[in-house]
Amino acid sequence: MSDFRELPAHHLHGLSDDELIGYTRRAREAGRQDAMKPAIAVLVHGYRAQLVNRARLKLASDADAEEVADEALFSAITSAFDGSSVGEFRSWMHTILSRRIADHYEARNRRAATTELPSEHVGDEDVWGREPSVPFEGEALFARECVERALSELVDARHRRVVELYTFGPHSAVEAAELAGERMTEANVHQIASRFQRRVTELLEGGGDTAG
Amino acid sequence: MADVDRLLAEYKEAHRDSGGDADPRPFLARASGPDRTVLSALIEAYLERAPRRELDSAAFTGSASALLAEQVERSLAGESGMWPAILPRLRSRARLRRSDLVAQLAARLGASAQQEKVGAYYHQMEQGLLPAAGVSETVLDALGKIVGWSADALRRAGEMPAAGPPRADAGAVFARTTRAGAPMPAAEVPESSLAGDWDEVDRLFRGEPPSA
Repeated sequence: MSDFRELPAHHLHGLSDDELIGYTRRAREAGRQDAMKPAIAVLVHGYRAQLVNRARLKLASDADAEEVADEALFSAITSAFDGSSVGEFRSWMHTILSRRIADHYEARNRRAATTELPSEHVGDEDVWGREPSVPFEGEALFARECVERALSELVDARHRRVVELYTFGPHSAVEAAELAGERMTEANVHQIASRFQRRVTELLEGGGDTAG
Repeated sequence: MADVDRLLAEYKEAHRDSGGDADPRPFLARASGPDRTVLSALIEAYLERAPRRELDSAAFTGSASALLAEQVERSLAGESGMWPAILPRLRSRARLRRSDLVAQLAARLGASAQQEKVGAYYHQMEQGLLPAAGVSETVLDALGKIVGWSADALRRAGEMPAAGPPRADAGAVFARTTRAGAPMPAAEVPESSLAGDWDEVDRLFRGEPPSA
């Protein structure tokens, strides 16, 4: 029997994702299914809406977005238990979602090409593949890559921080300027964000080959 | 570019105000051309970085998140790998009620006269209660033909993640209890499969009897 010690539910909210996974793993090893429940609930409730909304950006129907998001979240959590997960939980979960969105397009294209066949669902199993198995491709993933590339091209750490705080983060330009410090102003924040967005646009229009 | 900035800011505000539920598509619909692509990529980056939201027990209860959490939990605590998550979805995609699927499965197994027992075993597969290793290729092949998956893919799904150790409270009750804690309907539990009378249907779903 493991040395698992159950935590009160309200304590679970303060744990990081990876701590929650570790806690769930210890509860599982101790055969404490009842203790696994609240930790899994924190993870699922904590991320499902984000994943669904990300999928809505790429997929036409709510049903498809929810299905793909559920598959990604399910795979991300369960893969942490069979050694197939890679790196930080949140990043791995979003990587799986990107793959599932691409798989969804591929499966739909296959179905569209074989509508006359009686076995219309053959091949859908790929959607439940366990991890990314082929290079990312397609428009659904390209825009994301352009954003990450534009971010990586920012050589000034303060500018990267502004983009993280203002463009990707929840902060206003004034707040981002204060948090970034080093005499950063609201006008600077807008300027940096605008340049960053222009660079993303260039990369998208140039197929990613435009020099920065 | 100003429109992208403004729409992104509006989306982030809506996202915060809704507790993470805000659908991004109405905001995307207000942009066009390259701006729309850039806005989509930036919202995606924002969602990827959004913090895990706190568990809201009232909102969680009975939600799609709760259903997914239950499937994760059944997979981690059960003996049927990913079947608790995959089988209901495959059945849904095939547009089959469970009773219809069971009738088809029993027919394909040549066990139409024991449809109730086949249904009980299928129920256990969906609940994560049936050890995947004991389920024969004959069953998986028949099931796969009904839902459009290969027997091999179903086998792999049943093996991942590896089954956990026995529950601390495992015992006679376990065999009659769903992973959600609710008692299985008595009519769905095949009494003959719990003790004695090991017949062909038992062999198909559970392998050879332990004492054989």
